[in-house]
Amino acid sequence: MAVKIAGLHIGQVVEMSIRQAAEWCASVPATLSAQKNEIARAILKEIRERLGFLNNVGLEYLTLSRNAGTLSGGESQRIRLASQIGSGLTGVLYVLDEPSIGLHQRDNDRLLTTLKNLRDQGNTVIVVEHDEEAIREADYVLDIGPGAGVHGGKIISSGTPADIMADETSVTGDYLAGRREIAIPAERRKGNGKSVRVVNATGNNLQSVSVDFPLGKFVCITGVSGGGKSTLTVETLFKTASMKLNGARQTPAPCETIKGLEHLDKVIDIDQRPIGRTPRSNPATYTGAFTPIRDWFAGLPEAKARGYKPGRFSFNVKGGRCEACQGDGVIKIEMHFLPDVYVTCETCHGARYNRETLEIKFKGKSIADVLDMTVEDAQSFFKAVPAIRDKMDALVRVGLGYIKVGQQATTLSGGEAQRVKLSKELAKRSTGKTLYILDEPTTGLHFEDVRKLLDVLHELVEQGNSVVVIEHNLDVIKTADWIIDIGPEGGDGGGTVVAEGTPEDVAKTPESHTGRYLGPLLKPNRVAAE
Amino acid sequence: MAELKRIEVRGAREHNLKNVDVDIPRDELVVITGLSGSGKSSLAFDTIYAEGQRRYVESLSAYARQFLDMMEKPDVDHITGLSPAISIEQKTTSKNPRSTVGTVTEIYDYLRLLFARVGTPYSPATGLPIEAQQVQDMVDRIMELKEGTRGFLLAPIIRDRKGEYRKEMLELRKQGFQRVKVDGEFYELDTPPKLDKKFRHDIDVVVDRIVIREGLETRLADSLRTALDLADGIAILETAPKEGDPERITFSENFACPVSGFTIPEIEPRLFSFNAPFGACPDCDGLGVELFFDERLVVPDAALPVAEGALAPWRKGKSPYFLQTIEAIAKHYEFDAKLPWKDLPAHVQQVFLYGSGEEEIEFRYDEAGRVYQVQRVFEGVIPNMERRYRETDISWVRE
Repeated sequence: MAVKIAGLHIGQVVEMSIRQAAEWCASVPATLSAQKNEIARAILKEIRERLGFLNNVGLEYLTLSRNAGTLSGGESQRIRLASQIGSGLTGVLYVLDEPSIGLHQRDNDRLLTTLKNLRDQGNTVIVVEHDEEAIREADYVLDIGPGAGVHGGKIISSGTPADIMADETSVTGDYLAGRREIAIPAERRKGNGKSVRVVNATGNNLQSVSVDFPLGKFVCITGVSGGGKSTLTVETLFKTASMKLNGARQTPAPCETIKGLEHLDKVIDIDQRPIGRTPRSNPATYTGAFTPIRDWFAGLPEAKARGYKPGRFSFNVKGGRCEACQGDGVIKIEMHFLPDVYVTCETCHGARYNRETLEIKFKGKSIADVLDMTVEDAQSFFKAVPAIRDKMDALVRVGLGYIKVGQQATTLSGGEAQRVKLSKELAKRSTGKTLYILDEPTTGLHFEDVRKLLDVLHELVEQGNSVVVIEHNLDVIKTADWIIDIGPEGGDGGGTVVAEGTPEDVAKTPESHTGRYLGPLLKPNRVAAE
Repeated sequence: MAELKRIEVRGAREHNLKNVDVDIPRDELVVITGLSGSGKSSLAFDTIYAEGQRRYVESLSAYARQFLDMMEKPDVDHITGLSPAISIEQKTTSKNPRSTVGTVTEIYDYLRLLFARVGTPYSPATGLPIEAQQVQDMVDRIMELKEGTRGFLLAPIIRDRKGEYRKEMLELRKQGFQRVKVDGEFYELDTPPKLDKKFRHDIDVVVDRIVIREGLETRLADSLRTALDLADGIAILETAPKEGDPERITFSENFACPVSGFTIPEIEPRLFSFNAPFGACPDCDGLGVELFFDERLVVPDAALPVAEGALAPWRKGKSPYFLQTIEAIAKHYEFDAKLPWKDLPAHVQQVFLYGSGEEEIEFRYDEAGRVYQVQRVFEGVIPNMERRYRETDISWVRE
């Protein structure tokens, strides 16, 4: 720690943000002797280039010492992207999954430039993306659909963005061309007049932020990446509230006090963490729908005659499951130097239950058939069983009608897992005093899905609950009742409240980056303007 | 070979894809969009990327393949025009606390190299720069002095150490040296000074007396060599001006601090790695974070009195030991143990959490009739837990 260059030791250099580090690099040659400059030139060039790439993908606020485990998925993806550009390969096929996640509109432009650079180096870049701007900027667009799951899987439209827009059959084209859009609510909710006030929050880069979260409203927290949105909402508000209300053991980010928690009875964070890490967990078990399904099967006359209990219909305990595969449906064979091979269990042929259990049928379907149904099918199949139907309804409402009832939790995407959690909350009886906190729920969602999700979230608010959403998606922001814009920049340049108020108020705040992008959207006839 | 202009996918049926035929132009920015669950990822990742990766992996030897995940052949009739594929997904970061933005981007590796090669070391003790010089650099430096300058070339052999050093001085005389400088005074080695072994001393051997003029270089180089060998790579030139204070120029052959003698063996990139024991901070093993106990978790409810379990670690055990400890502390600091935690004076809270420091407290314990008294300092709840955490190797205590 005693070796210094230009007056700084290595620990101080890695504590700098990428922007500062780039400035430091530029200042180094002036402080070195000619001979040392010779040595340093090649090394500095490499460092400068890499810092430059990170800057271009909008990560200038990170420090080099930042722990990789604490980065968001989008951030780490962009870091990998930055190092790929540095490699200078050509003729490569890059496949990217939604690189714009978690990016503020402002940083999005820079990301797109980076992707175009990659293309101009002679590479093919395939991006799976929902972002409107990315689609408009693309050379070639493929629209897949029309629906989800079994209703999808067809190429609806392909061609340049203009071709897609002209195509009446494409939902994406409809949104791009403005034939369909997410409506701005005619009226902003007044809320119930109560609020939760966070006083002097100082976690991470927050600079003694005091802010009111109005209750009974749909509140959107916005701001550029690294501005401190999550620190304020999740680390401070959620963790303190869950400690007080749910008795959870948490270490919240420091703040002086939070007032107004007495207006709430519980706080729920709906994040994108997987709902379970074992293949034995699935949407049915998570939402609690599996218990009534098993009870239903156990209550059938045939099952009663044989004396089968609900446990008979579980694939996790002995009794009804297939013992050859212990209810997994597949058998794992280790092949040493070849990858493990999963083969369908010979005994049950993947059904996970033994023959006797499968003989119990309801409307001609066994329990294995039910698990293999899509949620939509199960919804109509169990029309007459409210306990099951309600849970299936909730799943369909969050746009998950296409997943299978027994789909393994490990195969669900982060966005799907989040919506499964949301549906579980929807199916519960609402107390009207719950605070829901969602971190970027539109991740991985298409325009059409966003619309459905918003319907659901607004419904929660209609029931008297409060919803706080951290979001970059402008379509979500414009429907909010209240916006809190954090920033103005990322990292050290952020940590203050730039604007708060209704979307109209924020759009009028010139310092707010969000407001600037929001303004044009709030004009009633945007399609005509384009 | 005709240049392939497009990637042709025929008959893709992976997951829910319905026998999709699609042509994707190469060298362009292609966006795949659609509702979630409609099959975008099935086409991009599970078909195109999987096939590109699989073909590449298949070209490797079976030995190399065991280290790679083998992808299953996607359900597709054929794909032409594929290039080697790289996917940039979102779940690629490791959760290892040693992985940072710097290491993932390899910037840290370059920084380490930069610091090792062009960094200037400073002595942690004195804050002076440490430089490594060759003999000829030193000669050049001395020859820059004004012609006619007189000076002594010294070899510091003892730095701030206790001892008499009689034997050392005898040895030096045998080697043919004439003078030494002890604690700032010059002495002839024939009549060495008597040193008090209880005090710390500085001893420099006078290797040469010089007057700067043309043609001195060879002699200077020889003398410097002698001095450096004597004093482990350090030599000092002390000028002897007729008036005013002498100027001291210190030379070091190693990466060593000329004043404190602090040495760095050799500056290598690994010195700057927080993952090598060589460069990492020994307290936290280079993680930069230490495990600690959170005050707020120790006192979860500030409204409870100490006697009724404000201190969470003491709440479970109904042992009279804790109660009597609290009473003793209450008596010593004269406060009411029935007061809620938050109303206690701040210094008393500190004593409970972090111990009484030097202050001894009289404890009186009553154990089923046996009464005993002790006078000792109170350890404090948090230090106590930290000590127990370190000393235990039973994992449940740690939780």
